[in-house]
Amino acid sequence: MTQTQTPLRVVTINGSYSSPSKTGAIIDLVTETLADHFPIVTTALNLMDLRPDFALALTPDDATETAQAAFRAVENADLIVAGSPVFKGSYSGLFKHFFDLLDTYALANKPVFLVATGGSERRPLFWFLQAHVAPVGIYATAGDFDGTLILNPEVYARTQTAVADLLPLLRQYATEAEPQAVPQP
Amino acid sequence: MSFELGIYHFGELTANPHTGKTASPAQRIKELIEQAVVADQAGLSVFAVGEHHRRDFVVSAPPVVLAAMAARTSQIKLSSSATVISSDDPVRIAEQFNTLDLISEGRAEIIAGRGSYTESFPLFGYDLAEYGDLFNEKLELLMQIQEQDPITWSGTLRTPLKNAEIAPRPFNGPLPIWVGVGGTPASAIRAARLGLPMALGILGGPIDGFAPIIDSYREAGAAYNANPNSLAVSVNTPGFVARTSQLARDISYPYFAAGMMENFHQRGQGFQMPRRAYDASASAAGALFVGSPQEIIDKVLRQHEAYKHERILVQLAYGNVPQKETLEAIELMGTEILPAIRRELDGRAAA
Repeated sequence: MTQTQTPLRVVTINGSYSSPSKTGAIIDLVTETLADHFPIVTTALNLMDLRPDFALALTPDDATETAQAAFRAVENADLIVAGSPVFKGSYSGLFKHFFDLLDTYALANKPVFLVATGGSERRPLFWFLQAHVAPVGIYATAGDFDGTLILNPEVYARTQTAVADLLPLLRQYATEAEPQAVPQP
Repeated sequence: MSFELGIYHFGELTANPHTGKTASPAQRIKELIEQAVVADQAGLSVFAVGEHHRRDFVVSAPPVVLAAMAARTSQIKLSSSATVISSDDPVRIAEQFNTLDLISEGRAEIIAGRGSYTESFPLFGYDLAEYGDLFNEKLELLMQIQEQDPITWSGTLRTPLKNAEIAPRPFNGPLPIWVGVGGTPASAIRAARLGLPMALGILGGPIDGFAPIIDSYREAGAAYNANPNSLAVSVNTPGFVARTSQLARDISYPYFAAGMMENFHQRGQGFQMPRRAYDASASAAGALFVGSPQEIIDKVLRQHEAYKHERILVQLAYGNVPQKETLEAIELMGTEILPAIRRELDGRAAA
């Protein structure tokens, strides 16, 4: 690629309660695969670590300055990699609570890669948020791992496909001096 | 029995990913025979070739290829990986492998498989709907031929045999028959019930991920009172060896990925193997035997703690890594890896 590229601002959101986590391993795989194509700067939000800053807040204003910085990072990101394990049939409670506190339009039209461990369908939440969700979601189950090492080649292949599907859009962001990803509410 | 380390090959004809050229079938056969000769000289235990009935593989007749190897080798065991017994006649299989056993003076063996490819069934007039029954009946006949001479046998899927002479007889007693198992507990338990050694095809996952199946096999062997000396486990897994870890991955990856895409038809299409996936499988926790000699030694010893297996066959240089690098890998396996594994395992056994 000959064009000068602005690094893509990537924010990863990990809703796992473990550390290290399988969800984190797949999120890392997505960012590494993205980095094959673009320079990226990554802000990693581990909701487990951020818990004291937002878990008890019922409105964004109740959250600490650290959490509000995280919300702003999401709003200003070029793309989001959102991952959660499946607990009791759905994403983790912290994961949902984080998005409950975000501005309704924070993800509108923003490219999002969905990552789930345990297999899951979280599209309804992101449809509501009007995010530009990658057509291919990246799901993995315990059998795809040894600890947090992903051993199933299909997960890698699926990640490549997910990233490839959004390449034209991401390439556009990467070559724009001022990304226009976030329409203001 | 000392731990055995060998090589198996499918004889795939994969286009070179760098040049786009594919070796001729004659060239590939010549290379396979040369690999067996080098493996024999390097002290490896087994060389096996698989059976495929389609144009992108050069070996459809393993005993013929193995016979050529037998004439040029002196100590290495010659095996099939596997013989698709379901679509073949056990009488003919026995005649051919017994002949191979005479040529090689007792080095022939058979890995009996179901075949993960299906071309051979219509080719030889067998009904895929009888896939399971064909395998079971033919395996039992193949075993009985080894034990009983002349043989009287009847089944449902071929004509009966009455006092039939099946010649020649093997060089020195019955040929070893291994059962190729793809990873279902039922297949492992059946092998144990028949008192046969099991060759487990493992193409990925954790280095110790098949422990439950191997445990099932040994437990079933004990439950069916199988002779413990007749039970054994072979792990059959792809791999490649070079002087350093990085070289092993860098040399082998493009060929392996091409082979998985072009010659891996079990699922009806190619299989994508991204480089990161290959590196993960080659890492200490992954099942592929790809790495430096020391890495492979460490992996085998770690795996042995979980499996207590007797043999590993490496599907070496899948996708047709060039012959020079492949022969170097064979040298490393025979001169560095196998002796180190044996030293360590013999030490563990003595302790």
